[in-house]
Amino acid sequence: MKKKRFCYQVILHLVLLVLAFVVLIPIYYLVVTTFKSGTEAALHPMSLPSSWKLAPYAEAFVKMQYPRAFKNTLLITVFAVVGILIFGAMCGYVLNRKEEKRWTRAVFLLILSGIMFPYQMSILGLYKLIRGMGLMNNMWSVVFIDIAVNLPFAIFLFKSFVSTIPRELEEAAKIDGAGVWRTFWTIVFPLLKPTLATVAILNTLTIWNDFMGPLYFLQSREKDVILQEVYRNIGQFSTDWASLFPMMVLGVLPLLIFYLAMQKFIIGGVMSGSVKG
Amino acid sequence: MKSKNQIKNSTPYVLMVLPALLIFVTFFVAPLLSTAKYSFYNWTNYSPDITFSGLTNYKKLLSDRTLATGVKNTLTYAVINVLLQSVIALPVSVALNSRLKGRNIYRAVYFCPAVLSTLVVGYLWKYLLSTSDYGFLNQVITSFGLDKINFLGDGKIALAAIILIEVWQWFGWAMVIYLGNLQSISEDLYEAAAMDGADAWKKFWHVTVPGLAPAIKINLVTGMISGLKVFDIVVSTTNGGPAHQTETILTLMFTKFSDGNYGYAAAFGMVFLAVSMLLSCVLLGIFNKWEKGLE
Repeated sequence: MKKKRFCYQVILHLVLLVLAFVVLIPIYYLVVTTFKSGTEAALHPMSLPSSWKLAPYAEAFVKMQYPRAFKNTLLITVFAVVGILIFGAMCGYVLNRKEEKRWTRAVFLLILSGIMFPYQMSILGLYKLIRGMGLMNNMWSVVFIDIAVNLPFAIFLFKSFVSTIPRELEEAAKIDGAGVWRTFWTIVFPLLKPTLATVAILNTLTIWNDFMGPLYFLQSREKDVILQEVYRNIGQFSTDWASLFPMMVLGVLPLLIFYLAMQKFIIGGVMSGSVKG
Repeated sequence: MKSKNQIKNSTPYVLMVLPALLIFVTFFVAPLLSTAKYSFYNWTNYSPDITFSGLTNYKKLLSDRTLATGVKNTLTYAVINVLLQSVIALPVSVALNSRLKGRNIYRAVYFCPAVLSTLVVGYLWKYLLSTSDYGFLNQVITSFGLDKINFLGDGKIALAAIILIEVWQWFGWAMVIYLGNLQSISEDLYEAAAMDGADAWKKFWHVTVPGLAPAIKINLVTGMISGLKVFDIVVSTTNGGPAHQTETILTLMFTKFSDGNYGYAAAFGMVFLAVSMLLSCVLLGIFNKWEKGLE
């Protein structure tokens, strides 16, 4: 019996290890190729590079106008995520606490439709709207769209989390004379921390990696995001390995660092975000 | 009749809902309605006037041969991708939920591709799958004495290659969702099953899988909805080629948009709406049946 169990464990590890290699080899290839010439990459794809020169990175950094593109991506992500957290938390709170009212139920149903339907179907209407508002090539267009598109799921999570918070604290605050507004910010909002973290993590990943929104609405180069720089440059130099692979790495590096640093929180966030959803 | 007092009492609540509602209606609901409207208009980049044109755009759609390919590819992608992800993720999550050495490392590794940009993942795989002498996978294949496979250049298998790339990228995400659900399945159920003499296989089918119903539902629904949006991966691997054989609804829509055929692109948006409604209805039907079966 014990022997059988041991055999089973060995086989299981073997299968899991093979799967881990399948996942890791492309990522390893992506990183080591940045230090190789085209010939070296073709002849020895899996070996470590013969030198670790950083010059190609410096070149890619300049070509992509990296600091500017990074700043644009960061600002869009931060503003959109903060907007989703604040508006989503307020709305989810009311939709739970005033659940018995007809208007809150109507609002909830309307917002739920945003989870079921991809916004991309209405991109032409959005284009018309954004142009009409004079927000073309303005990062706020993408910020607002990101907020609108990702709010429904956030509201859903906030609403279901609020339902697990007992009302006694709020009632006590009410007796002490605190209004709805103050009660929410001083008592409820801090209690929402786990869901705030989940929503922040999920949306940081989505919004940072969004390519289509900026592609439609941020067409001028000064306003574009990191992924558009990758797209633009790879289109142009599709055979120039030395600058291509570093660009790809620079394209994924910020979130990769974020992941390596916060791996447990990110996986935890995805886990809790989904089970409640 | 509501008293003044009642209205005053609900004011702060209304104000707290308002920002979210306003943004959602302005940037989600209103554009949907106006897209529906403009799908009946002749609106291009070339003429300054936007004129009503009745069903012209829709008639053009019907004679557009790429449309059928786009819809078929989008649906195939959404369904097969999500099923393959779960076929890998579900058993892996069960394995990682046991007291296995190194399970946190495995988990971190499998999830990793999900944080990479899909656009970059596509470019990377384009190199790995290339038929040129640097294409790593074909180097491996030829080292076994087999012929090279033109994964992304052969219209018959390009879509399959794209699906596999995305399974590679996203099965870890599905796995994490299953893991979260597995933690909430009570040990008692397994003990009860063991008392009834169930072996590991029976426990898996009669305790684990029914217990995972919520996560299966989430993975299928969210996976299919995001599958319908397939765009980045096609842009970076095949760009719809060869000969439009890997176009999806969104890549076609973007082409019409870039060409300045806005009204026509809006009609594509409506096709997209119809396809996603259809898929949602089918999914809901399946889940209703399944839940009845479980009860």
